[in-house]
Amino acid sequence: MTKFLNHHPSSEMLVEFSAGTLDTATSICVSAHLHFCKCCRNEVARLNEIGAQLMYEAQPEAIIDNGLFDKVMAQIDQPQPAVENSREKTDISGFPTHVNKLLNDAQNTPVWKRLSSSMEVAKLFTGQSKFEVALHKICAGGVTPKHDHRGLEYTVVLKGSFSDEKSVYTQGDFIIREPGDVHQPMGAKNGECICLSAREAPIKLKSILGLLLNPWLRVNPS
Amino acid sequence: MDKINQSAPKVAIFKSTEKRDDIWSVLLVEVGTSQDRSAFAQLFEHYAPLLKSFAQASRQDGWFPGLAEDLVQEVMIKVWQKAGGYNPQKSSATTWIYTVARNCRIDMLRRKCNTQHLPLENEDFWHEPDEATPVSLLRQKRTEEHVKLSLEQLPQEQDEILRKVYLEGKSHTEASQELDLPLGTVKSRVRLGLHKLQILVAPEFKKELVND
Repeated sequence: MTKFLNHHPSSEMLVEFSAGTLDTATSICVSAHLHFCKCCRNEVARLNEIGAQLMYEAQPEAIIDNGLFDKVMAQIDQPQPAVENSREKTDISGFPTHVNKLLNDAQNTPVWKRLSSSMEVAKLFTGQSKFEVALHKICAGGVTPKHDHRGLEYTVVLKGSFSDEKSVYTQGDFIIREPGDVHQPMGAKNGECICLSAREAPIKLKSILGLLLNPWLRVNPS
Repeated sequence: MDKINQSAPKVAIFKSTEKRDDIWSVLLVEVGTSQDRSAFAQLFEHYAPLLKSFAQASRQDGWFPGLAEDLVQEVMIKVWQKAGGYNPQKSSATTWIYTVARNCRIDMLRRKCNTQHLPLENEDFWHEPDEATPVSLLRQKRTEEHVKLSLEQLPQEQDEILRKVYLEGKSHTEASQELDLPLGTVKSRVRLGLHKLQILVAPEFKKELVND
């Protein structure tokens, strides 16, 4: 948790995260990175000071209705509803809490589907329609089809590592692929790799195998 | 001589780890530790108008003025319920309450604009603050003080964008459309602002901060 990572979200993205203006899918990825990156967690804590100070400096000309305090006190005295504890949870240890929450979502349980001999995918239900959010699992030494991107894609490594033509990516790394980027990820030889990703539009495959796989790779935001 | 030299920095570090003693942080601790209602009433009196102004500043899609008092109510209830988790060493009451308000504002908007089941709340994206080390505390407090002093001295064009983002709740893209500026200009103004507020850490220091 305290190791140094090479691939981080930009400071501008952390600003939007700290201000709460980043869309849900991107926030899911940034938050997953923060789980592993102390450096960015500290940066976000510092950025929160801007919001706090701007709020504090606001002219408090707003008038509060006299009854509002009593309303709040009445609610506070209500007994708290019991926390539902419906079914056994299958948290994956080391995963960010919010990713485990999505994996344990009783209303939309994710299902792992095999995409190729080396790759499986599980789509995550996130209640937004801008990005498709999913977990990808690449087996040890697995090679995935070469593909390019028609839209933005954010990836965070949750377990293991993978590499492509540009670099090696390890647990916690935050990777941005832009339209036009072509790459061929390969799983590390020493163990499976699980990544969280949010992609904006369908990826285009570059080989015959890819053409066969294309229907599987349609983006279905949910 | 040596002894004096060695003890000097320790004094400085000790100062940086002192708990925040502004009245609001003290009151919030009292609410958290002993459910003190009169402390809560004072917090309410002070923060409710600020929270309402924050709510009224929102220009997000789907937000309407009628939601302002709902937000105040929801935030203050959360403040009461969650005050036990507040640690005055890690942040001031104002910063802590700001983060609660920001999360509530997003969740209220999502619930208004969405009828389907939402598996996550904005709170789920937030991490407990790290165990404070002398270096991280010093940095955090320095930022807090620096932001307080320098925010009002920011050039108007940087201030304008930070307000749009933090108070109105606009993304950089929306800000660039509204101000009729290229996205790159908006981002570079944000970045300049962050430098002035001394929030960014030079990449060469990042590695050291991880192990402090």
